[in-house]
This record gives sequence, structure tokens and C-alpha cells, in this order.
Amino acid sequence: MKTIHWIILGIIFVITLVLEFTVLAGYDSHWWNAIPAFYAIFGFVMCLALIFSAKFIAKKILNRDINYYD
Amino acid sequence: MIEFLAIPGVLLIAGAALLTLFPERVRPALFLVFPVIAIAIIFSRPDGYSVAGALLQYDLVLMQTDTLSNLFGFIFAGGALVAGIYAYHLRELGQQVCALAYAGGALGVIYAGDLLTLIIYWEIMAVASTWLIWAKRTPETNGAGMRYLIYHVLGGGLLFAGILWHSVTTGSIAVESIPAEYTPANVLMLLGVAVNAAIIPLHTWLSDAYPKATMTGTIFMSIFTTKTAVYVLIRMFAGWELLIFFGAAMALYGIYYAIICKDMREILSYHIISQVGYMVCAIGVGTDLALNGAAAHAYNNILYKSLMFMAVTAVMYSAGTSKMFHLGGLYKKMPWVLTLYVIGGLSISGIPLFAGFVSKGMVIDAAGYGGHETIMLVLLVASVGTWLSVGLKLPYFTWFNKSDYEGELKPVPVNMYIAMGILAFACIFYGIFPNALYAWLPHAMDYEPYTVYHVVEITQIALLTFVVFWWMKKKLAPELTAVLDFDWFYRKAAPATRLIFVQNVNSFFARVEDGIQYSARYFARKFQNPMRWLNPFSDEKNEASTYSPSMEVVMSFILFGFLVFAVVYFT
Repeated sequence: MKTIHWIILGIIFVITLVLEFTVLAGYDSHWWNAIPAFYAIFGFVMCLALIFSAKFIAKKILNRDINYYD
Repeated sequence: MIEFLAIPGVLLIAGAALLTLFPERVRPALFLVFPVIAIAIIFSRPDGYSVAGALLQYDLVLMQTDTLSNLFGFIFAGGALVAGIYAYHLRELGQQVCALAYAGGALGVIYAGDLLTLIIYWEIMAVASTWLIWAKRTPETNGAGMRYLIYHVLGGGLLFAGILWHSVTTGSIAVESIPAEYTPANVLMLLGVAVNAAIIPLHTWLSDAYPKATMTGTIFMSIFTTKTAVYVLIRMFAGWELLIFFGAAMALYGIYYAIICKDMREILSYHIISQVGYMVCAIGVGTDLALNGAAAHAYNNILYKSLMFMAVTAVMYSAGTSKMFHLGGLYKKMPWVLTLYVIGGLSISGIPLFAGFVSKGMVIDAAGYGGHETIMLVLLVASVGTWLSVGLKLPYFTWFNKSDYEGELKPVPVNMYIAMGILAFACIFYGIFPNALYAWLPHAMDYEPYTVYHVVEITQIALLTFVVFWWMKKKLAPELTAVLDFDWFYRKAAPATRLIFVQNVNSFFARVEDGIQYSARYFARKFQNPMRWLNPFSDEKNEASTYSPSMEVVMSFILFGFLVFAVVYFT
């Protein structure tokens, strides 16, 4: 990932935020629509949660030696 | 007769038999002919067309068409065709015949109008697909194939028991929607279908067998078994609320394993469970939008899931391993395979302009608007996990991570690229023109995928997931590990199971047999000469030759008398 890639991703993110606060300002079909940038926060938090919980489960319970069943 | 042979399922199975008569050179091309004819048949039959038959006192409906069956029929026949192109270089009769018969079984289930016809095709699928695992001929696949077969025989048995019970109690064997009542017949049928749909915890046959099957075998398997079960669930169990929760659980369960696993084919296999979870969940919701979503998602899933399996298999074919631990840095040497994989990955993650976006959104929205907002959020978490595991982790550690791949690479056959190209085109085509798919869906609906809300929603989720992945990617680095699942209970417990159900039973019977033989010997010796009981000094052995003739005559009369008495008395 070069700096230019991060800048492009940043610009796309800003566009989605602008859209959210202009076009979608009055949008309300779920309770979480009231939270600003909900889906960004959701993606961030859930991705972290998934990585750490998966890692934890794997380490504590699921991972075995590759020849476990042989 | 022509009418009978023109049933897509029968056609492909007959084709499989015909394939054995042709020389090796023409077989791969002939393989492709049958799915093409099947597609032509599907397009030429009007809605509501049916073929009747009879078995004993039952009236069978061998083929019945409507919008839903045509949608699945077309994608199955198309899937068989593309997978056939992908396997064009293969010169193994067994695999070719079984793959075609397997596709025939799946198409047969789709068009079956009654449950007896359905169960026959259902079993054909199970048996034919098992060979796609066994064909690898290693001790590992011998075991996995046997476990797979036993699981499916069990599932088929449950389904058949349910069908018989259902036909006795209701008098109907039609494939039709059944009310959500937990009667024994319904529960048995649901369990039987749940095995094939890989509903947790009945999913372990999938994650056990798919990563071990032959390279092209896995591609056929990823298309048919779970999707036929999804089709049957849509037909018969729409609106069963239980399915919502199991579906959502599957979506998450598959994701967790896809994040944990380190083998490309294992990751994609677990991810099938997650994807089928979306469909099962939508079927449980049961509204028109949800059922359309389930059907559309099954359709799209066949496109991008087989594309991803094909790309991964191409890497495996080339590099000789599917373990990401040994891969990495392939982007310079296999850029086209990477591109094709990424198209599949973007599709499955529901990124706008790709096929997954237009169907996954339907399922998630259907859950949200059907009054299941929590389930909707769970499915969104699964979307995050999809993008993280198969959209980012798998390609990153396969094609990037290292600066270059040092091992030997075999060239990838052109036919593989053609097959992947067709699917990649379809993924983009349906992503840009969703109405081409929506027009084929069974229910009327008013759904627009490309709204500002949908695009903002998925873009924000995808961007931030990417940022976290990039930040945390070291945590997901591949290592060589085996991952436990529910199959532990019958794989690790196999010695105990064998002890209880085989060895103990065997030794019990052996002991009983010994006892019987011992007592037979004992009594034979004791009754050799009953005179000895009274007179210990008489002959040890009582030889008939030492009897006097008069004795023999008397004994003969007595025995004859018994015989006459018996004849007179009993007649």
C-alpha cells in the first residue's frame, strides 16, 4: 500500500460521510441510523472484535498440531 | 420416451452412462454437451410443464417447472458446464462420470414434483459425489470419503423416513410448502435436508470432505449439494422461524472458522457454511423479499464461490499445495488468477458493482424489515468477516506477503482461465445489471439495490474493515495447524465408538458362539449312550453296529410308529 492508495481510500471515506450527512440526513429505518458514521464504527469495532475473539478461540480451544488426526 | 429423456436430471445421468462408451479424447468435450442440452430444455419448457409417471400406487411427477425451479435449474446446468470446462484437461473416467451424474442428481431434485422422485435423486447425488473424494486415493481421503458417505446416508435416511411418515399421515407426496409444525414427520424431513444444507452442528461432512476432495471435485461439490438443500428449504420450509436463528448462527460460525483456518480450500469450505447461513436465515424470515433474496443469493453464490474455488485450485494445481503457509508472493507469477480471484472476493463481500451486492443486500434488508434487527446486525458482522477472511486475508497471504514466490510453478491450463473468465464476467454483469437476475426471481418485489444508503453502508464497512486488516494482519499470518470442529466427536471418538459398537459386539457374539459349541459338544458326549447314566459299566461308546438285529427291528417299528402318528395327527 502506497500513500496514494491511502489517500484514495480516505477520499472515498470522506465522500461517504458527506453523503451520509446530506442526502441521508433524514433517513431513519433502523434505530442505529441516529448514530453518525455508524457503519464505519461498526466495521472498525466488529473487525477488531472478530480478529481478537477468533484468535482467542483458536488458541484456547481449536488449534492442534497439523497431524492431530493421523 | 423422448419426454422422459428430456428431463434434465435423467438426461445428465444417462449422459454419464454414455460417457463410459466413448474414447478418452472426446470425453471432456462430450461432457459439456449434456449441460448445454439441459439448458436448451430448460429454456424450451413453459412454466407449469410437467411429466407424470407412476410407481406402485403412487402417482409421480417426474418433472415440474416454475420460475424457482428454472432459476436453480439454469444455474446448476450452467455451473456443470463451466465446471466441465474447468475440468477439461482431466482424463479420469471415474471423476467425469460421477461429476456428471452428480449434476444430474442435483437437477433431478430441482425438477422433482414429488418427494419419492426427489429422494432417489438425493441419494444419487450423495453416492456420485463421494467418488469425487475417493478418486484421490489416499488414506486420508478414503477416511474422509467414508465419513462423508455415512453422513449423507444418514441424512438421506432421515429424509426418507420423514417422507414416508409424511405420506402416511397426510396422504400427499407432493413437494410443497409445509406448515411450521414440529410433527415427527416434518422434523425428520427437516433434519434430512439440514444435513445437506450443512446447518450447524450437522455441517462437519462439508468442512471435513471439501478441502480433501480432488481439485476439480471440490468445485462441483461447492456448486450442488448445499444449494439443492437451500432449494428444498425454500420449497418446503419457507417461514419456519427456527431457521432464522440457525441461519444467523451459521453465518457467524463459518466466518470464525474462515478467519481461523490457514488452508485456502478449508477457508472457502467454511465460508460456504457462512453463505448458506444467509440463505437459510432468509428462508426462515419467509417474506417475498427474503425468499427472492435466498434464491438470488444461491444463484450468485454459485457464480462467485465457484470462481474463488477455481482460482484457489489453479494456485494449488500450479504450486502443489493449498496451505497458505507455503505460499505468498505469487502476484508476479499468477497475476490473472489473482485478478479473477479478487473479482470473486469483491462479489462475495458485497462490494457495489459486483454480484454479491445485489443479493446479499436483499437478505440483510429482508431480515431488518421483517422485524429482526438484531439478526440483521449479526448478518452485517458476518459481512465484515467475509470481507476480512476471503476478501482480504486469503488473497493477501497467497499472492502478497512475500516479495516473490520461490517454488516451482506448473503452468495453468487455458481451459481453467476460460471457465474463470466466464464466471468473472457473470459476477460483474449481474452486479451492474441486477435486473437481469431480478426478472427471474419467483416473487414480485420492489427492491432497488443501488440506493445511496446501501452504497454508503457497505463502503464504510468495507473501508474500515480494510484499515483494521492492514493494521492487524500479522495476527492472521498463516501457520501449520489443524483446527478442531464438531467432527472431533466422531473422529477422535472413533476408537471408543469402534470399541463399544464393533469390538464389544463382536466379542459378545464370539463368546456366545463358543458357549453354544461347548454345550453342543458336552450334550453330544453325554447323550451318546444314556445307558451309562444307569449302568456306569456299560460300553463307553454306543456303536450302532453292535446292536442285535432284533433290537434294530424294534427301534425301527417305534420310529415308524411315531412317523405315522405324526402324519395322521398333523394333517
